[in-house]
Amino acid sequence: MFKSLRVSVVVVTLALSGIVSAGPLGIGSTATPEMIAGWDIDIRPDGVGLPPGQGSVAEGEPLYEAKCASCHGLFGEGEGRWPVLAGGEGTLDTLHPEKTVGSYWPFASTLWDYIYRAMPYTAPQSLSKEEVYSIAAYVLYLNDIVEEDFVSNQETFAQVKMPNEANFFIDNRPDVQNERCFQSCADPSTFEIVTTINGVTPTGHFKEDSGVAANHYEGNPSAASSSEIRVEKSVTKVALSKEALLGRGVYDKACQTCHNSGIAGAPKLGDVSGWVDRIGQGMDTLNDHAINGYQGADGVMPAKGGNMALSDDDVVNAVAYMVESSR
Amino acid sequence: MSAHLSIIQFSTNDRTYWKGNMSKLYEPSLPKLMEAIATEAKGMRGMDRRNFLKGGIAAVAGLSSVQIIPKANASANLPPNLPEWQRQLGPGVVAKPYGDPSEFEDLQRRTVPWLTVDAASSISMTPLQDLDGIITPSGVVFERYHGGIPNVNPDQHRLIIHGLVERPLVLTMDDLRRFPSVSQIRFIECPANGGMEWRGAQMEALQFTHGMLACCEWTGVKLSTLLEEVGVKPEGKWILAEGADAAGMSRSIPLKKALDDTIIAWGQNGEALRPEQGYPLRMLNPGWEGNTSVKWLRRLEIGDKPWHHREETSKYTDLMPDGRSRRFTWVMETNSVITSPCPENPLKQPGFLEIRGLAWSGRGRIKAVDVSLDGGVNWQRTELGELVIPKALTQFSLKTQWNGQPWLLQSRAIDETGYVQPTLKQLRDERGGWSIYHKNSIHTWNVSETGDVYNVQIS
Repeated sequence: MFKSLRVSVVVVTLALSGIVSAGPLGIGSTATPEMIAGWDIDIRPDGVGLPPGQGSVAEGEPLYEAKCASCHGLFGEGEGRWPVLAGGEGTLDTLHPEKTVGSYWPFASTLWDYIYRAMPYTAPQSLSKEEVYSIAAYVLYLNDIVEEDFVSNQETFAQVKMPNEANFFIDNRPDVQNERCFQSCADPSTFEIVTTINGVTPTGHFKEDSGVAANHYEGNPSAASSSEIRVEKSVTKVALSKEALLGRGVYDKACQTCHNSGIAGAPKLGDVSGWVDRIGQGMDTLNDHAINGYQGADGVMPAKGGNMALSDDDVVNAVAYMVESSR
Repeated sequence: MSAHLSIIQFSTNDRTYWKGNMSKLYEPSLPKLMEAIATEAKGMRGMDRRNFLKGGIAAVAGLSSVQIIPKANASANLPPNLPEWQRQLGPGVVAKPYGDPSEFEDLQRRTVPWLTVDAASSISMTPLQDLDGIITPSGVVFERYHGGIPNVNPDQHRLIIHGLVERPLVLTMDDLRRFPSVSQIRFIECPANGGMEWRGAQMEALQFTHGMLACCEWTGVKLSTLLEEVGVKPEGKWILAEGADAAGMSRSIPLKKALDDTIIAWGQNGEALRPEQGYPLRMLNPGWEGNTSVKWLRRLEIGDKPWHHREETSKYTDLMPDGRSRRFTWVMETNSVITSPCPENPLKQPGFLEIRGLAWSGRGRIKAVDVSLDGGVNWQRTELGELVIPKALTQFSLKTQWNGQPWLLQSRAIDETGYVQPTLKQLRDERGGWSIYHKNSIHTWNVSETGDVYNVQIS
């Protein structure tokens, strides 16, 4: 195998040597069109890079709900603190700007490019081109940028105009000019000293003998700081089955994004009360929901957590790990 | 009641203070002490409880050993006594083939947990408060990931250069190392550095106000050398750089920058890049937004227009008060900060003091740094460190006296283009409070009469 590969590389190099002259240093090998085609995934605003294929808003809706809504919300409103995709029009010059695809993004091509290269978050580059056309169309529809009957393809997608496109301008810094003054440069009687909000800074690292009065920094923990600090689960103390031990690695890669934070109603790892009713349904039901997806009153479980590259066994093992760590 | 309070104060990480009180209050009765700790812990939950118990019990253990073996007392190692480490052999060579910092050091990247929603798309900060000099040790260089750290096998990693070129190339790591190489000391900074402070002072720590910053020696091949090798066609004006991470990080770089000083680097501080920093190959755009220095670099495509990808439209654009936005804000403008004293490094005693800090500019060399003790009313010149390298961290220092007077301590850097680091007011007047990125304003530490240092803003 190795030898034949070597031979074919030499043949390709020789075949191309008549057409392409070597660079000044003659280092490296020719990148073949096949190699480039596999990696060249980028899309530009003028439509360059958009592949053949198509997808509609109607086809996008179920795909979006299965693969995107667990983080971005059913209407693009964003679950928890995951990115909001829709809304926010007219807010950019207010005190609470909301930057979404519709209110902020200057080009629709960026949406296609990013969904294809990086989404779903836990399973990048797992979507087909048709699925990306469909989901991108649906996100544009959620933003009232295309109509319900929109079908996106190489031609129509490149023609989509985004409402905020004209509001971007090229960097014009330096935009402020300070002077290098040395004496009486400011009027201290006008000074207003603004201090920090107590409690938002993690201060665990302050030196033990620094002499800083620690209570100064911990006076009034805000909701933001205290609620977001992740409480470690002592899962290692639980005796895990062989399946669960195998599932632990799967969990870290594919499941923890939602099941550590509880996003989209996901029961958190180690949250006994959150798991008890689910465990009561039996492992078969849990495995079925995890493998094939589930949508209930409490939340959304995308099939295999959105990562279709996982085998059914991987998912079953991960479920075992979560269950054994949460009872 | 007083005993109760003393334990609470221990739980806030002030071990010395607590121990001092302990010996007075509890010296004779170890069981009573353990009981007090257990009682106190009952009212706590989660990490608080664990940290408290860990610390409390460790301190008790320390206390008991003090009583049983008097020589374990710290003073036993002080002159005129011979320290314990001098009375025995230590480990020999290659006890640790790759060494660690001393166990007495606590050098750590840290994050602000509420900043981001998931650790695989998040940021941690460099512990500037614990570092000396201009080089950031590789292990504590701040991290920024958009899809976690890929575990790249260098033998199976390839860089493809294609697009508007005469000779599209695929390069192995061995190929890349054959090219003429350069080693350069350059800073790298996330444009969101300080971004939490736009609308008010928020972070009571240097690590969190300025820690999205590092400076390393980078080794690699100049991108201009690689571009000669592939032969850029005349219509080629832009380069798309793309990473091999789960986010497929991508940025559009103008050819002009690529031909100027961009490096394709495999080395960092004398060894291979750390996985966190793009192992085995990254782009480095000196002086520009850290995000443009694409890590785990797998592809460079030459084109005639920019790509306007997510990280140069949705993110890394700067919203102005009128609702319009700046794009392609690549340059990191001149900035500086005092690293000692700072909230983590308060002043402990009056007398001689060397105020120390770092300055940097994405436009070139630092020309001068001034320091003000009174909130910017009066300024004095400082001394720069020996190494003044373009687009690198530069040390400055001012020798002075502190005798318990409160200070509003500021530093102001000037670069070789004549640009003077602006005030926060100047930036806010121009950009409002929502642009997130590129907050390079003069920073203020309030040194109190006790020597404690606080992050404040003057408006």
